Amino acid sequence: MQFSCHSALNKLRGETDFTIALAGNPNVGKSSVFNSLTGMGVETAHYPGKTVELNVATTSLNGMNIGIIDLPGTYALGAVSEDQWVARQAVLDGNPDAVVMVVDATNLARNLYMVVQFLELGYPLVIALNVLDVMRRQGRDVDIDRLSILLGVPVVPTVANRGEGLDELIQKAVEVARSGVRPSPLGISYGLDVEKNIRRLTDAIADAGLEDPYGLPHRALALLLLEKDPEFIELTSAMPGWEPVLELAVGLRQKIAVEHGQSAATRIAGERHGLAGIITDEVETRKEDQKPGWGERLWRYTTSPTTGIPILLLVLAANFLILYFLGNALAELISTGYANYLADPVRTALVDAYGENLVTLSIIWAMDGFKAALTVGIPFVLVFYMLLAVLEDTGYLNSVAFLTDSVMHRFGLHGRAMIPIVAGAGCNVPAIMGTRVLTTMRERVIAGTLIVLVPCSARNAVIFGAVAFYSGWQSTLALYAIILVLWVVLGLALNKMLPGQTMGLVMEMFAFRRPHTTTILKKTWFRFRDFVFMVIPLLLVGSVALGALFQTGILLDAANWFSPVLQGWMGLPPIAGVALVVAVLRKELALQLLIAMALVQGVDPDVRNNLNAFMTNEQLFVFALVTAIYIPCVATIAALARELGWKRALMIMGFTIVLAVFVGGLVNQLLLAF
Amino acid sequence: MLTEVVEEYLEAIYKMSLNGPVIAARLAEWMKVSPPTVADMLKRLSDKGLVKTSRRDGVKLTKKGLETAETMVRRHRLWERFLTDILGLNWDEVHEEACKLEHAISSPQVEEKLADILGHPETCPHGHPIPGTRGARKREKEAKPLSQCSVGDEAIIERVADEDSQLLQYLASLGLLPEARVAVKEIAPFKGPMLVNVCGAQYALGQEVAAKIMVKGK
Repeated sequence: MQFSCHSALNKLRGETDFTIALAGNPNVGKSSVFNSLTGMGVETAHYPGKTVELNVATTSLNGMNIGIIDLPGTYALGAVSEDQWVARQAVLDGNPDAVVMVVDATNLARNLYMVVQFLELGYPLVIALNVLDVMRRQGRDVDIDRLSILLGVPVVPTVANRGEGLDELIQKAVEVARSGVRPSPLGISYGLDVEKNIRRLTDAIADAGLEDPYGLPHRALALLLLEKDPEFIELTSAMPGWEPVLELAVGLRQKIAVEHGQSAATRIAGERHGLAGIITDEVETRKEDQKPGWGERLWRYTTSPTTGIPILLLVLAANFLILYFLGNALAELISTGYANYLADPVRTALVDAYGENLVTLSIIWAMDGFKAALTVGIPFVLVFYMLLAVLEDTGYLNSVAFLTDSVMHRFGLHGRAMIPIVAGAGCNVPAIMGTRVLTTMRERVIAGTLIVLVPCSARNAVIFGAVAFYSGWQSTLALYAIILVLWVVLGLALNKMLPGQTMGLVMEMFAFRRPHTTTILKKTWFRFRDFVFMVIPLLLVGSVALGALFQTGILLDAANWFSPVLQGWMGLPPIAGVALVVAVLRKELALQLLIAMALVQGVDPDVRNNLNAFMTNEQLFVFALVTAIYIPCVATIAALARELGWKRALMIMGFTIVLAVFVGGLVNQLLLAF
Repeated sequence: MLTEVVEEYLEAIYKMSLNGPVIAARLAEWMKVSPPTVADMLKRLSDKGLVKTSRRDGVKLTKKGLETAETMVRRHRLWERFLTDILGLNWDEVHEEACKLEHAISSPQVEEKLADILGHPETCPHGHPIPGTRGARKREKEAKPLSQCSVGDEAIIERVADEDSQLLQYLASLGLLPEARVAVKEIAPFKGPMLVNVCGAQYALGQEVAAKIMVKGK
């Protein structure tokens, strides 16, 4: 369920005894900690206009209600990228009683960067030193007590994915939250010359006696102003009395820039980084170099171009095959099971009791819609989500992104988009939901549109049934070639036309990790649950609506009305038009509907075996092409709306219809001309 | 052994020449003396082979004069750094002091030690560059973009060339800062991203990002 961030955070504060924020770099095991601490009651919230989400949940400990805010994983707090902005804003708004920072022990220096930032901001802090087991296996170790002394905050060793140390962690967090004691400023400070300037500004802020935004310590504000943080500059510019301080900040920024030959922000970042490094050197010990483990070795093969690409093709093929065959098999199973045990009995019961009228037929259509949800949802979506979770958790996704990034770049995408796009060949719905791994809305829109153009298994079924069967394999290849060309052209065009730039790739790569079943299952469940809540209502409503339109004959009238376009331009009979509209429900129904309509029109019952009875091969070709291109099925529309918003979803819908009509007609005219 | 006055003149001419040809009249203003005094001094400097005067180019330092001037400037600026960095004076207070101190060094060893203890700074507290050591100008190895490195190269980041401070700060939080050591592990096909090792962690950097990171070989 979605809330706006502000209301979610306020609600949390109101309902709980303590709020704790969970922070950390990406991929440090923060979600393991979060998942272990919380049950099923997780709500997602997001700030308007931002695509990054926040997870918020409550848990109880010793009779106390504790609210947990799961901040997005970031390398730093700031206004530099969307996830960093959201992380910081959520902390400022949520005003947690304690912050638990999950730190990756194998990468201490970089992780400490954000720790220092939090200490500067003055929040009571507890550190979870995670992945210590891996670190020890690598022959290194951390002096936990010394680290705790240097930082001035408790440090708890954890192995999050095994659940070790978590009890102690939450206990410490509650202790710290309860005591309300803010950490004292670090004993170690930045380099002398920069420190001078920081202190001058800090004193100026203190002397001016001004109201502190968010109640932050003066030093923190001084640092933010010296870093030229756009958010805080805007904030303080609007507050009375800050002008002289802001002016001083400008002067000091220039001074630092002149003294060090780099912008003040970069200098401060450098100092902070240096500080993190000093602390790390003091507490970390390493034994002799260990041989790289299986994870590292395997990972090297996946990223080296010579071995990586074949591996990638294998994995993509495996994904596709699993989705296609396993998915279809499951779909069949559920379909027949549903029909035998639910749909048919209910249908006969209804018709026997009430006869065939608008209501009963609508209910039957609704049940069909529900069946669509089951046969699309469970087999394809669930399987895809599980595959995705495995790829994510092992870290293979990064290798994919690395290898394919340059190609994807032409389309304005990053390598990470490869997986959802290929998954679209199995079923568009989970593929679209999978675009969530992309970081900007622009990428999601491009990826979403391109996914919609990838023929899913349902459309492939239509293509095979209508074209391969009647016109042979050359025509089938031709059809796919047309779609491919469209796809490439569209991708390049979108990249040129859509405003905005794809930011250059900066992505952390880490060696493979063994995926953990519980994390995978939980991840899969959360995503699937989103799908279910979004898609099922829409399917039911859509089915009922379509059913009504169909039964009342409005659809056929409309198809006749459109005949100039349908017949004149595209060369298709009116019943094909009806079939196309109804197929919005389930694409593979397109063929069955065609047959059904033909029968209703009084065509020879032999049509079951030979569509040629009322459609030529060329017409079938156009029909299949149009089916492949135009509006995705209802479930896909729902997924698009969920990920991109209704406005964009409807635009994509409109676009595909126009494209389908245009290309279908064009092909028809060309076929007629020859 | 050059007198203090001579050294002062050379320094002045050096600094003024950065703004264009040096005219005697301007030099007189700068040194706060009368034009005849300057004319006299310039003759002496010319005799010693430290400057050359011509109507077209004004006053120019000879190679010898340049060396001396650079040394003076260097010492002046090193002293300024000493006063701010080590003694903790404010940057607006150090110029006068440094002016006196710069003439106090008599041997290059002292100058070297001073530079050492300050960590070989490249600018004075006001941001002016500190010239290379007496004689040879230290030629800095050409910095090249990271995107031009090959697999297996190791380099040191010199700077990140970008007006976009957002990228700069983002990279900074990852440790991609001047002086950081970078090792190129892998390069993706089709001018794809580079896989680099920095501060014990691995990152994939897109070509455009790598092109903005200027590095020097070790």
